[in-house]
Amino acid sequence: MPNLRISGLKVGYGRATVLENLNLAVSPGELVTVLGANGAGKTTLLNGIMGLAPPRAGSILLEDEQLVGLRPEQLVARGVVLVPERRELFGNLTVEVNLRLGGYRTDASSKSLDRIYSLFPILAERRKQKAATLSGGEQQMLAVGRALMAGPRLLMLDEPSIGLAPLIVQEILRVIGQLKADGLTIILVEQNARLALSVADRGYVLEVGKIVLEGTSASLSTDPRLSQAYLGGAADYAAARDQVYVD
Amino acid sequence: MFDTLLFLLVDGITNGAVYGLVALSLIVIYTVTRVVNIAQGEYVTLGALSFSSALSGSFNLFSWLVAGGLAAFALLDLADRRLLSSVRIRILLIRSVWIAGVLLTAFAAHKFPGSYWLAVLAALAATVSLGTLTYRLTVEPVSGASPIVLLIVSVGVYMVFHGVAVLIWGAEPQSVPPVVDGGVSLGPVFITYQSLWICGFAVLAMAGLYMFSERTLIGQALQATAVNRVGAQLCGIPVRFAGQLSFAIGAGFSAVSGLLLAPLITANYDMGFPIGLKGFVAAALGGIVEYPTALVGVVLVGLTESFSAFQISAFRDVIVFLMVIPILLWRNAVRPPEAHEH
Repeated sequence: MPNLRISGLKVGYGRATVLENLNLAVSPGELVTVLGANGAGKTTLLNGIMGLAPPRAGSILLEDEQLVGLRPEQLVARGVVLVPERRELFGNLTVEVNLRLGGYRTDASSKSLDRIYSLFPILAERRKQKAATLSGGEQQMLAVGRALMAGPRLLMLDEPSIGLAPLIVQEILRVIGQLKADGLTIILVEQNARLALSVADRGYVLEVGKIVLEGTSASLSTDPRLSQAYLGGAADYAAARDQVYVD
Repeated sequence: MFDTLLFLLVDGITNGAVYGLVALSLIVIYTVTRVVNIAQGEYVTLGALSFSSALSGSFNLFSWLVAGGLAAFALLDLADRRLLSSVRIRILLIRSVWIAGVLLTAFAAHKFPGSYWLAVLAALAATVSLGTLTYRLTVEPVSGASPIVLLIVSVGVYMVFHGVAVLIWGAEPQSVPPVVDGGVSLGPVFITYQSLWICGFAVLAMAGLYMFSERTLIGQALQATAVNRVGAQLCGIPVRFAGQLSFAIGAGFSAVSGLLLAPLITANYDMGFPIGLKGFVAAALGGIVEYPTALVGVVLVGLTESFSAFQISAFRDVIVFLMVIPILLWRNAVRPPEAHEH
């Protein structure tokens, strides 16, 4: 069971520093969400953990092992797996090959393939189809499935709900809930705070590269600062929703 | 008239098969690493020259240099303190076997001069290893750089290889024997067995590469790296292994085409560069990414070359290289640049 401790983390691209002195902890079996607006640094945080944007300072300890400085493939070998926001699928390869490649490190057996197909039955139907021909929702399921093939100990999901129909979002949330029930440690990055808090144990709120708020899901859901900034007042939410449907 | 036509056809297809192997090498390397490898023709040269010295049983400095490079990188990799101990043992084992392979084949060829297949093995072991070394030394340190930077780096690599080839083997051409002497008469045209070997190997190599990339997980990982580098990294596919593998495949195919071609044109330090460029012209037809289109390209280049050599031999290369202009115009028309760059 992994235990993730991030302290003093600094991540950036080129000359820009996006995150500075960031501290975050995830306990074994916990589902922690990181909330924040566009550009708050949520994706950068995950890229920093994953070694895609190598941290410039600070430490990331998984159990007692230092993760800073490891390459992405070394992190995957240690069970740290990311489902990126852009999904990064192999469009001209079939669904099944995409999944098999997800298990590249683990010599994935057909048993783990069957497990993914039972989690997302639609992928089994589409197994011979090229990934690029899938719908957005199916692509997201494939991205999650591919990550699970790696046998993660810590699964990180970057905005899995983005651009998807509510029904598909429910489907993906259901699977996340099931993974959590199986004891997987999960970091869920979301812009949709209401959604994320409905499944998470705890949450952090990120604003311009800094953590401004943290707490249990229950306390965050009722926190006036969060509800103003991200959840919107109940009336506002209804208004916004009506607006969307009118358009 | 018909005889001449047939002769030019056979000649063009033999040349086309060689360019096909080089084009294949260029495509494998480009799709996986984004390097337009100007130095590709040098593997043709090195394959032919190292084969020639392995066959003659003389001391093989080239193999020793390559083995030294491999050892240096093995030590560098092992010095990484963060390696899991199981990985460290695996690295140590694989690298020792690999270095031993390069040295043993070179030594065996030295012990049994004149043994054709032993010499092929020695030449292949050294050039394939050089391919991986080149990737480690010149591509990996600038990985993520723009394709133009990678191209310029490969021009530098070309210059070094070219110079080293002269240093080791001198400027005199070396004669290289064919696999089997003689040939077969097809009506009025005499086809050397060597031409058949070249065409046969080209077909085998293409089929083999196709099977490898479609049927094996490592082959699919190579494709995955070509399609989406970040996605490959997130699957735990080590992209630098994929890069080394693509360079190894490219170096191997080109080296074999060089040692098979050498009996027809004699091996010398200068033979590879124009072959590399003609392979590039053919690959350009498929945007250096599509194998099937590149195959059309190599037949086109091979035939154009043999027919123009017959008609106006002084302009043979000029005509072949000029083809790149209509090819690029056509390519731009059917597949505008923004469509295939992400």
